[in-house]
Amino acid sequence: MNEMTEDVAVVGGGAAGLAAATRAKETGAERVLVLDRNSELGGILPQCVHTGFGLHHFKENLTGPEYITRFVDRARALGVESKLDTMVLRLRPGGEIVAANSPDGLFKIKAKSIVLAMGCRERTRGALGIPGERPAGVFTAGTAQRLMDIEGFMPGKRVVVLGSGDVGLIVARRFAVEGAKVEAVVEILPYPGGLARNIIQCLEDFDIPLLLSHTVTAVHGAERVSGVSVAGVDEKGNPIAGTERTIPCDTLVLSVGLIPENELSEEAGIVLDPLTGGPVVDQHMETSVPGIFACGNAVHVHDLVDHVTETGMTAGSSAAKFARGELETLRNRVRMRPGSGVRYVVPQIISGDRPVTVYLRVRNPVRNATIRAGDIAFPLRAARPAETVTLEFTERRIEKLIGKAELEVGMEEQKPVD
Amino acid sequence: MTEKTERIITCIVCPMGCEATVSMEGKKVVKVEGLTCSRGEEYVINEVEAPMRDFFSTVIIEGGVSPVCPVRSTRPIPKDRIMDCSRKLARLRVTAPVRIGETIMRDILGLGVDIIATRSVGVLGEKGRQ
Repeated sequence: MNEMTEDVAVVGGGAAGLAAATRAKETGAERVLVLDRNSELGGILPQCVHTGFGLHHFKENLTGPEYITRFVDRARALGVESKLDTMVLRLRPGGEIVAANSPDGLFKIKAKSIVLAMGCRERTRGALGIPGERPAGVFTAGTAQRLMDIEGFMPGKRVVVLGSGDVGLIVARRFAVEGAKVEAVVEILPYPGGLARNIIQCLEDFDIPLLLSHTVTAVHGAERVSGVSVAGVDEKGNPIAGTERTIPCDTLVLSVGLIPENELSEEAGIVLDPLTGGPVVDQHMETSVPGIFACGNAVHVHDLVDHVTETGMTAGSSAAKFARGELETLRNRVRMRPGSGVRYVVPQIISGDRPVTVYLRVRNPVRNATIRAGDIAFPLRAARPAETVTLEFTERRIEKLIGKAELEVGMEEQKPVD
Repeated sequence: MTEKTERIITCIVCPMGCEATVSMEGKKVVKVEGLTCSRGEEYVINEVEAPMRDFFSTVIIEGGVSPVCPVRSTRPIPKDRIMDCSRKLARLRVTAPVRIGETIMRDILGLGVDIIATRSVGVLGEKGRQ
């Protein structure tokens, strides 16, 4: 088996992986290699042709392809190496990667440090268990987007979208702009999953109905989808008898959640957080296995690529330092735990003596609330489960944490919004 | 007599998502109520008087490593012209290569806005992708 030696090996060449690889190079790593199973770098961004990317990182309003091209170009200019069409098969603590591709066959990489940037995967119909026929015409949102905007096929003409998260809304708009009729976006929860901006600009602009507290109860059609049954649901999300009706359509698009992709991490014995589905990471984005770092959607599903980039940069500079034997271990380890009204907190471990940006997700929509982390209070005007909340633990705030081993981060008062 | 109307507009300037009640006489805003900050007012007035949107889509590429190329408008366009722009671009055929940032269509439909490529598409059969 061929063997390669690297300072930093990055698994995944999307937004997170490219941020990690470029930052590792910029901060002194000599040999940096990115591995990706796709035939081009960029991850999901080349197919996200809408605007709204880079407002934080570049202070510009870019499309997905424009955003990621900047990182691809930067990686090339810095001399980051890549192996595409390459599947990573195994990760071993101690920095060994086993991978395979067509030209090289099976090969081994010995890396001083590894960055995991595998991203996330879409939930599928199988994960939901929607009953009915199994005709063609059922796509995940990402597949529909790829067909339209990378491969140049129109997946359907009359479309129902299940799931009102931002991905579902944006795909609904793409179908509408390309001349398809979007019959409805169906959402099981009583409130929309996506941003208000996207409800207006993706649905209202195109007169697409949003059916809240509804779900798809069956798929119809022999060869191709001919329609779906939708029904109202009760508070528990169970369909209400007698409310079912059929919407004729040729396509059902599923936008029903994203799951961090961590089979490799699990196999390597990395501790995962059941709340995020991703590795438990500390302030350096280091996992429970020394020398293996993680970033982006593999850690938790982000709503902004700009934040993905941030975590990638942290992981990249940490990995470069580790490769040189210069990464300071955290003197103090404060374990963050989600409290009332908070679904998860990342990173799960902070130093408690260095400033850090912490991301969290709320359980329910809230307004005029306060998030309390020990003695530190963060006022929160408004937050919804779809939008991550960013808490800046500044130098001054962090002082209040000295000596703590655990920190609960929870909502002080909660006023649910209708 | 100008017609008096009221519209409810959800403000999208920040995550608060205030619902503004906009009173209008004809096409002119006379009163905005329900916002909790001043930043939202400009958005809400534009949204009722002359709503603008970023435009983005894909165009068909001939002889490229990819059959389509994503594009966008250099500036926002009037909301009610989105479908006109889409139909206009649907008839277009662009020959590879295309460079990111390259103008694909100048002054689309006389809106004073150009359509530019948002990625590069190399020529099919040439060595190296893009």
